[in-house]
Amino acid sequence: MKILIIEDERELAQSITEYLSGENYRCETATSYEQALEKVGLYHYDCILLDLMLPGGDGLKILAELKRQNRQEGVIIISAKSSFEDKITGLQIGADDYLAKPFHLPELAARIYSVIRRRNFGNANTLIQNGLEIDLLAKTVTVNQSPVFLTRKEFDLLLYFLGNKNRVISKSALAEHLSGDLADLLDNHDFVYAHIKNLKKKLSEAGAGTFLKTVYGTGYKWEG
Amino acid sequence: MKKLLNRSLKPMLIYALLVSVGSIPVYFLIIDFIWLRELDKHHYGIKRKLENRIDALSLPDSTVQQTVSILNRTEPGFTLTAVGASRPDSLYTLIRFDPFLQDREQFRCLVTSIRINNRPYRLLIETNMEEIDETVLAIAGVSLAFFVLLLGGFVFLNRRLARKIWQPFYASLGQLKEFNLQRDQTVAFAKTDILEFAELNDSLRQLIARNIAIYQQQKEFAENASHELQTPLAVVQSKLDLLLQNENLTARQGEQIELANRALARVSRINKNLLLLARLENQQFADRERVDLSQLVTDQLELLADFLENSQLTLTTAIQPGIEVEGNRLLIEIAVTNLLFNAIRHSPETGKISVRLANRQFTVANSGSPALNPDNLFKRFSTVSAKTPSSGLGLAIVREISNRYGWSITYTFTDGQHIFALAV
Repeated sequence: MKILIIEDERELAQSITEYLSGENYRCETATSYEQALEKVGLYHYDCILLDLMLPGGDGLKILAELKRQNRQEGVIIISAKSSFEDKITGLQIGADDYLAKPFHLPELAARIYSVIRRRNFGNANTLIQNGLEIDLLAKTVTVNQSPVFLTRKEFDLLLYFLGNKNRVISKSALAEHLSGDLADLLDNHDFVYAHIKNLKKKLSEAGAGTFLKTVYGTGYKWEG
Repeated sequence: MKKLLNRSLKPMLIYALLVSVGSIPVYFLIIDFIWLRELDKHHYGIKRKLENRIDALSLPDSTVQQTVSILNRTEPGFTLTAVGASRPDSLYTLIRFDPFLQDREQFRCLVTSIRINNRPYRLLIETNMEEIDETVLAIAGVSLAFFVLLLGGFVFLNRRLARKIWQPFYASLGQLKEFNLQRDQTVAFAKTDILEFAELNDSLRQLIARNIAIYQQQKEFAENASHELQTPLAVVQSKLDLLLQNENLTARQGEQIELANRALARVSRINKNLLLLARLENQQFADRERVDLSQLVTDQLELLADFLENSQLTLTTAIQPGIEVEGNRLLIEIAVTNLLFNAIRHSPETGKISVRLANRQFTVANSGSPALNPDNLFKRFSTVSAKTPSSGLGLAIVREISNRYGWSITYTFTDGQHIFALAV
């Protein structure tokens, strides 16, 4: 999978590249408006991460250009502007998702995973991973033909982990993903533990419990 | 506080009163002096005419006594008496009862000597004049009448003229009162042909322009600073996420990263809220959308349900359906969640929270003590404490949103409950 990171902050682009590489992602970076247009003109990608404030131009124009060419790349806007209007405008022009800075890398990875999945598999809504059969539309999971009944949050968590395979995910990142602003209310992240414990238990009972690991003191990891 | 026009009117009136009162004795003295001088002149004239006329008669000595007696009996205010020797003249004023007029009257008198057929006679001439007290009274009455005329004139002129003269001043004052730095508006003062007012307006215009410029800079600064912070924060966040991938990480190091993550999350939240406040001040939100507040509050409570289930807090709700407000959905949502979060965050572990929406009033109450200072409560960063890690901006944002829509947010403390009421 090829990913283009259009981001003028080199360190951030570097972090994203490092996090995504290893699995089957290959990342390229463009740090200016011109460079981005050039790369987009020359190559095709599976997903483009687009910063809006770029030296040399407005990132939204790149997005408009992609749409004008009817390109199929999934686009995720990563912006320092968290304003609602920018988000609306971006999504209206045709971005697939919008992520405000600062964000957790696992969150970004999960969104990329989701965008690529939707783009590449078109209308196919079944995902098969590590013996798990996941129906994305019906939001159901089957292991060895027997259904696993997950809550909405648990299902969400499962996809999150699948988008971050073999990566350690901190409790903070999970808390933020699960509860958004609510994470701010919670002095401890015990509720993360509760949700993961339930997910793990249900998967174990279905015979697929070996993938989700607790990394002592740091967080959780899906190995597979 | 006194009005400017009244202040200038008062000393003028006092001065006019003093002059009026002071003029009473002066008028009296002058009138009295003229009266007396004229009367005395008149009396001497009579004396001389009498002497001349009697001389011209050339009366024989035998009839003098009879003529004098007739004169005394017929001529009013006139008495001739035969005396031994002539004495010096005497002029005096006298008040006595007059039997003819049947009243107390004042008389000017002249006592002098004349000679008839070479015999000395004493002549007394009396003329009735106005009594002194009546004169004073009349003058005082006239003075008072003039004073009242002046008073009326002053008040009238003050109202008309002065108001007209000061009109540009009051116009500028009105404009200043209307001026609100937070609303994007300029002040246009009316043209005036009075130098002082023109200068005043000029100075005000410059002052306001400078203020607007500074305020604008400050707003832009807050917004830009928050924006600029987002990217470095993203870098730090990404590096922490990467650090966690290190396979040789000890549990202790992992915990430290987690703690750094939490602090970073707090910084991000503060920054986001600062940005929101700056954008609220910069009026960067489209409005005028009908929002079903009842539905919105219900939805927000539903989002919290999961969290509340796992806590020991007791929540009671009473939401009157169908209450609509006009505004920006996102902002209203933020105001509602901030109040709800605030109640949850500051409740004791087994506290009670009650959420009510009725009669266009949204109330969030939570148990706790002691009462908080309502003056500081809605200020930025005034409620931050180590115990409850919040951004310290939640209530400031609520107030900003409430101000924007002309709503009011109030805090009261009754029966061990902190009550925040948002009247929409």
